[in-house]
Amino acid sequence: MDAVSFLLLIVLAVVLFSAVLVWRHRMVFRISVRNLRRGRTRTLLVILGLLIGTAIISGSLVIGDTIDQVSVHFAYESFGYVDEALYNQSAVGTGYSPFSYAVYPALVNATSSNSQIAGITPEVVASVGMYDRSTQIPQTNLNLVGANANQSGALGSFVADNGSHLAGPSAGGVYLDDLSASDVAGRVGDSVVVSGASRLTLTVQAIVKDSDRGGFLGGESVFVSLATAQTIQNDSGRLNFLAVTNAGSVTGGLALTNSVSTYLNATLPTLGPIAHGVTVHPLLQESVNAAAAGGSSFETLLLVLGLFSIVAGVMLIVGIFVTLAEERKGEMGMLRAIGLKRRELVYSYYFEGLFYAAGSAFAGALLGVGIGYGLIYAFSTILSSNAQQQAAILDSFTISPTSLSIAFAIGFLLTLATIVGASFRAGRLNIVRAIRSVPEPPPSIRVYSYLAYLGAVFVLLGALLLVGTYRGNSDISLPTIGGILVIAGGMFIATRFVRNRIAFTAGSLSLLVWVGFEPLRRVVLGTQHTGTIFVIFVEGISLVLAAVMLYIFNASTVVAGVSRLLRSRPGAVSIARIGLSYPSRRPFRTAINLTIFALVLFTIVSVASFGSSVEANLNQTIEAESGGYTLFGFSDQPIANLPGAIAANHSLSGFYSNVVPLDSAGVGVAWSGLSGTWSDSIYAAPANVSGPTDFYTSNEFNFSSTLHGASTGAVWQQLRTDPTAAVVDGDYGSSSGGFGPSHPLLSTGTVLTLTNGSGITRNVTVIGILAETFVTGIWVDPSTGNSLGANQPDVFFLRVAPGQDPVRASQLTKSAFFAEGLVLLSFADILRTSIQATVAIINLLQVFVGLGLAVGIAAIGLVAFRAVVERRSEIGMLRAIGFRQRGIFAVFLLEYSYVALLGILIGTALAILLIYNATIASTSGSTGGLSLAFAPPWLDIGIVLLSAYVLMAAAVLTPSLKAARLAPAEALRYSE
Amino acid sequence: MADVVVAGVDVWKVYGSGDTQVAALQGVNLEVRRGEMVAVMGSSGCGKTTFLNCFSGLDEIDKGTVTLEGVDIHAMSDNAKSDYRARRTGFVFQSYNLLPVLTAVENVEMPLLISGSKPKLARSTASAMLTDLGLGERLTHLPSQLSGGQQQRVSLARALVARPAIVWADEPTGNLDEEGSRQVTALLRELNQKHGQTILIVTHDPEVARGCDRTLRMRDGRFAD
Repeated sequence: MDAVSFLLLIVLAVVLFSAVLVWRHRMVFRISVRNLRRGRTRTLLVILGLLIGTAIISGSLVIGDTIDQVSVHFAYESFGYVDEALYNQSAVGTGYSPFSYAVYPALVNATSSNSQIAGITPEVVASVGMYDRSTQIPQTNLNLVGANANQSGALGSFVADNGSHLAGPSAGGVYLDDLSASDVAGRVGDSVVVSGASRLTLTVQAIVKDSDRGGFLGGESVFVSLATAQTIQNDSGRLNFLAVTNAGSVTGGLALTNSVSTYLNATLPTLGPIAHGVTVHPLLQESVNAAAAGGSSFETLLLVLGLFSIVAGVMLIVGIFVTLAEERKGEMGMLRAIGLKRRELVYSYYFEGLFYAAGSAFAGALLGVGIGYGLIYAFSTILSSNAQQQAAILDSFTISPTSLSIAFAIGFLLTLATIVGASFRAGRLNIVRAIRSVPEPPPSIRVYSYLAYLGAVFVLLGALLLVGTYRGNSDISLPTIGGILVIAGGMFIATRFVRNRIAFTAGSLSLLVWVGFEPLRRVVLGTQHTGTIFVIFVEGISLVLAAVMLYIFNASTVVAGVSRLLRSRPGAVSIARIGLSYPSRRPFRTAINLTIFALVLFTIVSVASFGSSVEANLNQTIEAESGGYTLFGFSDQPIANLPGAIAANHSLSGFYSNVVPLDSAGVGVAWSGLSGTWSDSIYAAPANVSGPTDFYTSNEFNFSSTLHGASTGAVWQQLRTDPTAAVVDGDYGSSSGGFGPSHPLLSTGTVLTLTNGSGITRNVTVIGILAETFVTGIWVDPSTGNSLGANQPDVFFLRVAPGQDPVRASQLTKSAFFAEGLVLLSFADILRTSIQATVAIINLLQVFVGLGLAVGIAAIGLVAFRAVVERRSEIGMLRAIGFRQRGIFAVFLLEYSYVALLGILIGTALAILLIYNATIASTSGSTGGLSLAFAPPWLDIGIVLLSAYVLMAAAVLTPSLKAARLAPAEALRYSE
Repeated sequence: MADVVVAGVDVWKVYGSGDTQVAALQGVNLEVRRGEMVAVMGSSGCGKTTFLNCFSGLDEIDKGTVTLEGVDIHAMSDNAKSDYRARRTGFVFQSYNLLPVLTAVENVEMPLLISGSKPKLARSTASAMLTDLGLGERLTHLPSQLSGGQQQRVSLARALVARPAIVWADEPTGNLDEEGSRQVTALLRELNQKHGQTILIVTHDPEVARGCDRTLRMRDGRFAD
């Protein structure tokens, strides 16, 4: 049984159970219905307050579904009718190795009887450069796709920008997709030079759309005939790619992938030696799966951030039901007095709660769809580079019945479970006290004994968790929770022996220190723990609850301090006295509202500060990742002396202050403990360079760790001359990601066995792990590099001279070395672009978490409306003894402002603390590869706080005015 | 006339309209002199509380004039009425109407604070007043921690702490037992004699009325002759 069916089954069971209860307690049910009907405005407000949690769940799921769909959409766009690909990719190379054309007819012949295969297309796929002679703009690193029009019918047709369908380019011609055409400002009829292993001048016959056939490999492609591609690659009579199309539509063919792949895997060996090394790759399936996983990760991020609002929503439900119980205390006592059983009282709340839960879950699930669409629209606007992409994102908007059912079921059950808990609390009233409206007495010693037993269980569980996980690389939330349980348990035990105020003050302070004081946890837990987004939830909830607890048990001291501040203003004292007394002497309600506001603000400010910290760290990141260089380059053909060539070129020489060449080669890497072989690149400085062009002495890269703690200079010096030494990129040292692909982990001192394509092997010891992750690979000394085939300079670091334009320098240099296929990448541009995307997403997350503010506003608004009714006779009395209307208004506004501002203050302070801790953690690489600098966005935070306060004030404005305008005699006459 | 503190001429108060119209006060005329302690009695629904609300300025009237210490209370703005109540009147109600979140002394000092007294002075005056009323040990207790009689004494202290010219009491003994009722009546009388305050008491209790200088009987929105 899947999760949805299980959830719906529970909902069904609840409904059936409730139906039986309704039938057996019809009179109680009638009371519940009357209660609903007698306060329609309140019922509406309650449902509005309750639906937020469901809306957040529903919105998260809808966004997750849509992102799934968007990613899948682009996967289909990229591969079109290519379901599987057959190619030979050697362990140490990155491109496709050519094989005999004869494989194609042999394979077609061998598979002719398989009806699941619609067609096989022989292709040459490679990376090339292109220079548009008309616009004089070069571009490198483009996909070259060579296929014959008469052999590629199964792949569908190209669609030109004017809408016409084209079979493929003829000899001497080239089709450019929209992206590559945009790169060189190319138009139909332009003459372009395509540069691979050799150069060929071709005419642009069409600009085609980046979809289906034209979107192959994700765009930035140039399409030519098979023969043309073979000429460009100097591979006459050979292929390197066979595209297999399954029967059925683009999406339908995917279902046959497993069957077709198995069939092809069995068929390839029957073709004999010509197909040696050729393997089957289910390209579309892998891409679609990866896309779905990406969507799922984002959904998780939204749900975890949404958890704060959901918890705030649960607090709101508790608050609403406690308020309802207080409101009806007298009549409940009377009902009990005339014979209603305690459990029937609970049922009356339960039945009422059923309506609230069902109504709010239904409305919330639908509202979530609207929220989801709004955010998806914003995503499409901010993240799309063109209108086509934006349309594709919006077209992918998906509302799945499964997600809506999950959201409804979770929202309904969560609301109902909270209502049941609150109903039991309400049902436990004392009849006489309820009728006479006498406050409940403090808990008996027995209650504290039970609390102490519970505390002992907490301490035991927490200690076990802490001891089991406090060292090592487990998720840091586990030992953190262990510590929290120990402290909470100790606090509960203490309530049995000392005053509550002492026990809870000490407990909450301990929690704040344990969770909020990062240096302490680093000492206790070390720095090797990993972390997921769930850590933020654990830390956030713990900090907020601890801070609220600390306040509640010390409220009188705080209120006394605030009141003292207002003493200097005549007339303000009476207002302050009353306005501040309600929050300090009604701790339960205050705690609920305070927690709601603090949680919501905590989330918003955390996300805002996180984005700002990422942005603020850009310069630091660029410095760490670039090693002091401006551009990183590589070329298809080695460039024997790039520093000399640039120095000799008058139009280029002024642009650069330093040009550093490196020899590179592909190798297989193995070490003790690693399963199999890892493919990577090695780099070594050419033997004949020295001075500023010598990489070992001129780079400014730093290490995250070195063997025996050696200095940076000493490591580079040793690497320069020691053939047994190696330095690796930062991704080898940390699992927290970075710019490169995920690496297997190693530490300094590890002995690596490097093997090149010819089988030559060298053993080297890792003497340093770099901090940078942008350029991935292994740095060795010149002799080791040379022996493994890294003997020609094809990788470059370039430092642009101060005051020079890096963009212009890059353009001119790429033009000058177009023949060699020089690709230049700007560290700053790439890092800025990657960070901009992160920041854009974080900004949108702020909107998402900001939805939680609705919970806070609903909470305050509901309580304020209730307070006007509840305190009517008190308001009348105040007016009788001389309070003016504006005095009453001020009392209400002060009371709710105080609670809201306190919540805002707690949430904001803790969020800033969390981000400060994260910046400390980021130095040990515990923030998922993101480097952070502590730079809270004070202006943004100020705007958020002001908005939160203004919204709160707007919510309490109407009830406050209503209270102020009450006629004194009418207010005094009122009784509930 | 200089001694007349409360005066009402042809005072009407009508609730509702059309068929549901009810005239709660029907041309009430009244004069109360300074230092008088007057009881207003009558059956339920005869208009006693409406009389108290309209004459004290808590409620509007539909016709007539009410002057308190020579000033037409209904000609004042809402703010002026509030200020007048704060400075010159005190109220005692059947259900005490203490603010549940304030302690006894905080409740009593509230009228002083509203009138602009310094907090320290207000606190000492309120404490002294409560001590006079036998509640010196209960200054920092919340209303929920006091008995009904104690709460009513706090309510009395609040009404009298600012030395008002007029004290309005609406069924001040309605929630008290016989002993409590006797204590409150005696206290009112004692304070009336000590400070010369004018006190108007709406009550059902003949014992309370017996302790007053004068008893007015109300029937169908009018004082009986």
